[in-house]
Amino acid sequence: MKPFDPRLLRYARAARGVLMIGAGLGLLRTCAVLAWSWCLANAITTVALPAMAGIPGVRGRIDEGAYGSSQLTWLMLGALGAVLVRSLAGWGMDVVAARGAVRVKAQLRSAALDALDARSPQRESGPSDAELATSLGRGLDALDGYFSGYIPQLLLTGVATPILILAVLLSDPLSGLIVVVVFPIIPVFMILIGLATQAVQDRQWDQLQRLSSSFLDVVAGLATLRIFGRQRRQVDRIARETDEYRSRTMGVLRVTFLSGFVLDLAGTFSIALVAVTVGTRLVNGEFPLGLGLFVLLLLPETFVPIRQVGSAFHASTEGLAAAARVFEVIESADASRSRASAPIAEERAADAAASEPRSGLAFDDVSVARGGRRVVGPISFAVSPGEMVAMSGPSGAGKSTLIATLLGFVEPIRGRVLAPDRIAWAGQRPGLLHGSIIENVALGAHAPDAALVRRALDAVGLERLDVDVELGVAGAGVSGGQAQRIAVARALYRAWDLECAALVLDEPSSALDAESEAVVCAALRREADAGRAVLVVSHREAVHRAADRVVRIAAALPEPMRAAVDA
Amino acid sequence: MMRGSPESDIRVRHRRAVLERALPSRARRAPGIVLGVLADASIVGLLGLSMWLIVRAGEQPPILHLTFAIVGVRALAIGRAAFRYAERLMSHDAALTQLAVLRSSTFAALVPRVPGALEAHRRGEVLAAFVDDVDQLQDEPLRVRQPLVVSAIVTGLSVVVVALISVPAALVLLGALVVGGGIAIALAGRLSGAEDREMSAARAAVVDALLERFAAGEVLAAFGAIDAQRERIAAAERRLATLQLRRARSAGLTAAVLGGAAGLASVLAIAVMLPGLGDGLTAPLFAAAAVVPAAVFEVFAQVPAALAARRSVQASADRVAELTEGALPPELVVDDRVDGRAAELAEEQRESAAIPGAPLLEVHGLSARYPGASQDAISGVDLVVRAGETLVVRGASGAGKSTLALALVRFLESRGEYRLRGVDARSMRADEVREIVGLCEQRPYLFDSDLRQNLKFARDSEQRGTASDDDLWAVLDRVGLADWALERGGLDARLGADGSWISGGQAQRIALARAILADFPVVVLDEPTAGVDRELADRLVVDLLGAVPEDRAVILITHTDLPAGISATLVEL
Repeated sequence: MKPFDPRLLRYARAARGVLMIGAGLGLLRTCAVLAWSWCLANAITTVALPAMAGIPGVRGRIDEGAYGSSQLTWLMLGALGAVLVRSLAGWGMDVVAARGAVRVKAQLRSAALDALDARSPQRESGPSDAELATSLGRGLDALDGYFSGYIPQLLLTGVATPILILAVLLSDPLSGLIVVVVFPIIPVFMILIGLATQAVQDRQWDQLQRLSSSFLDVVAGLATLRIFGRQRRQVDRIARETDEYRSRTMGVLRVTFLSGFVLDLAGTFSIALVAVTVGTRLVNGEFPLGLGLFVLLLLPETFVPIRQVGSAFHASTEGLAAAARVFEVIESADASRSRASAPIAEERAADAAASEPRSGLAFDDVSVARGGRRVVGPISFAVSPGEMVAMSGPSGAGKSTLIATLLGFVEPIRGRVLAPDRIAWAGQRPGLLHGSIIENVALGAHAPDAALVRRALDAVGLERLDVDVELGVAGAGVSGGQAQRIAVARALYRAWDLECAALVLDEPSSALDAESEAVVCAALRREADAGRAVLVVSHREAVHRAADRVVRIAAALPEPMRAAVDA
Repeated sequence: MMRGSPESDIRVRHRRAVLERALPSRARRAPGIVLGVLADASIVGLLGLSMWLIVRAGEQPPILHLTFAIVGVRALAIGRAAFRYAERLMSHDAALTQLAVLRSSTFAALVPRVPGALEAHRRGEVLAAFVDDVDQLQDEPLRVRQPLVVSAIVTGLSVVVVALISVPAALVLLGALVVGGGIAIALAGRLSGAEDREMSAARAAVVDALLERFAAGEVLAAFGAIDAQRERIAAAERRLATLQLRRARSAGLTAAVLGGAAGLASVLAIAVMLPGLGDGLTAPLFAAAAVVPAAVFEVFAQVPAALAARRSVQASADRVAELTEGALPPELVVDDRVDGRAAELAEEQRESAAIPGAPLLEVHGLSARYPGASQDAISGVDLVVRAGETLVVRGASGAGKSTLALALVRFLESRGEYRLRGVDARSMRADEVREIVGLCEQRPYLFDSDLRQNLKFARDSEQRGTASDDDLWAVLDRVGLADWALERGGLDARLGADGSWISGGQAQRIALARAILADFPVVVLDEPTAGVDRELADRLVVDLLGAVPEDRAVILITHTDLPAGISATLVEL
């Protein structure tokens, strides 16, 4: 895993600011650490020297460079100031990192959404709706850990570590040498352990995933298990599988924790080494005490950033993986957009202008392919203004696909589709949104007209539905049948509001009882009588009766189930 | 937070009960805590001892006098890393061992509440969040108790040791810990549980807005509302960002305060030790006491982090408790309990087992409601089914069809008469009822496993024996899935999480196959054709009914008209 993905800078310009300001604050913090260690070491030296029980005369270089006791106050004040600067710079780094995380997430999200907005809403392959929402939602939150835990430490490692090592080297070449020797061991060990962990994880990952998701599986299927009287046996099974999960996880952790062990050991052991070498030289009077204390105080600081980087390694891989998923979304969307020729809508408009029936719907020898395979066609039929046509056919015959060509979501591989610019449409899924009924019915209208909304709802038999009712996410709060009728009302509203010449509905009554279905059919009939071209996909007898004629679509090539599975 | 009010008392009790399940026994926790104390004490010891060593060396004693310190410094350096490693292994092992107990006891607590209490939460991600919450409870021993206990012991010990060197220095350290630590904890505490909830609500709002953007993408595109949805996403995002920044500022300030307090403690310690220096206080000890605060605060820094972890663990525990704790709603049936009065009345009848000639299933004036509902979903329902008969119950949406199904398998409590072979069903254990009446759910659950496992559990017990592969193939053939199963790779074919690789009709057939394997005398089919188009639905109903063995009774619950050619008694709901 790379520590940093350059695409982050390309897609999220805010990342640059974080790095620049963060590095500046890191530098400030490093200077404060140097000042603090210097002042504290010398303050202790100044105070301790007179009290030391040494034999006068053989002291050698011990008190070399020591400050006089008159300067003690200044040293103490210097130390306090350095502490203050260190704390504030550290805080600043945290805040900058958090701000950066928020901005970078927003930029990545909007870049991905820009890319997706430019695509047809019907995605044939790639991540599911939920996966996309997770990648752009909670998934990106993993960048919080990356920016707040990892980036500041990475910056400190880059900025502070060289300066601190240089300071140690200048103060005491021997201690510096120890650090220079020990330090590279850390990355080497980290890489070795990382490789070992990777190997272990690769082998066990699937099993771990399966074992950790098996609990979810039995909880989700609990009702089914109870029907078959199996719930008690599951308790044992959960215990057994969780124990297996434990022993496998511990196997991985034993290796994973080794990296922490190496980091700890490198840090503490070099302190011990330096303390002992400095100590022996002091005994012989070969080294100044103040400088020795300075080196000892500085040493832990040298190792802090790389240790933090090591412990935040997990956060970094998670964050980068999350970002990579978003990059994929952006790049795959970009790629598919460049493959598509001119914008679909324009082409369709040109087609429509060239044809004589300005307001009707027509399929002229149309074939449509999905995933490189023809799913429907060739087919020709037209819906004239004032006509209500029902389309029927077995599932998988491509009825919804034909509708998608009308809306411009899919382009036919052959033939021409003629449709007016504005189509009022209701799909198979109601597609209701979080918000009031008014907002849902008047979706896309700039100024919702409450009276018109009421009329639309009345037309589909929802006279008693309060327009101010707030729906939950994805229209939670209304029954399936109500949702379907609200979706039809939405299409009616659009038809009236924008004077749409065509009304297209996909299975508008599949969840309705006969009575409600009759109301909806009557509403559609009225629209046709008002001069609109009405096309309804439906299997229902009642709809067929209400229509002027029924177009039957034959099943295309038999569609093996496997195609969906292998994808 | 309201303290002492009855509701919050109950909440605290429920939360405690949930957290209790996640806590390993004292004996299992002890090694982790001891090792943690040793590891953290080593940090403090290493800094103090190496400081002592250097200043003592400056006094130029014979090198032999330093041997103890030199060995000690090296031992502490290695000990620190080794103890930490062992501690992490021990505490994780203890927590993971407890996970088995945690999961199975949570599951057991959930059993009587499903379906019903959990039904409203059937949405996949809510369920997944519940399971995540359960697993999150492991943090209680690992990230809350362990660091709190360890850092309390080590900071306490450090203050005592410093006090042995110099009482004023110890007082300074203690004061810094109380003031600095107090401010840090207060800052961390300002991010109250309410804010956590606000934060997770804001997070969920972003995901929901995004999900709508994709799930309703066609609608948004067709109605030109994509930009409006983008604005909603951006608004949700801004709200979350505000909360996150506020939190980051507080968290960063916590670290800054602790760092500042450590530095201040060192400088003040030097100042207060000045007068006593040389007078009982040696220079090496003075130096050690002066630098030790940095290490003590490093240990103490775990406390605010642990408190933050505690809040999120408690929030998880509260969410888990909502589903698993509290009194069972009266509308739900407890499997092991039988209605005492009815049991007495039916005692004689049970002696003679079934009453000869009585219908297989008989219901008169049955009413039932969902937990928490204000009125009955069904009332006054009368049904009689005999062996070999097919009964169709038809009702519009909202007529209580599913409630009836759940009442018949005794997931939901009901009123009115309910007899199985003439015996009062309420005098039987609910498990026994379910051996007679089976249910094919509207949305049968398919386990993330292979086809064999998805069928076999329906017949796998001491009494009825275990289904062999041949049995499974026979039953697949019967429900018309044999060819499909062959094509998919046989009984080892995986079905994907919640049957995501399978169509609704196939799922219904698998559910029916299970019911046939389990050999229920009565099978209730709850809307087997929901979500299947009409032509397919008719065929499916004919197929399903045709696959049911002759001597079994079927109750088909549906909202559509029956296809022609099916002879059945019809009951309108």
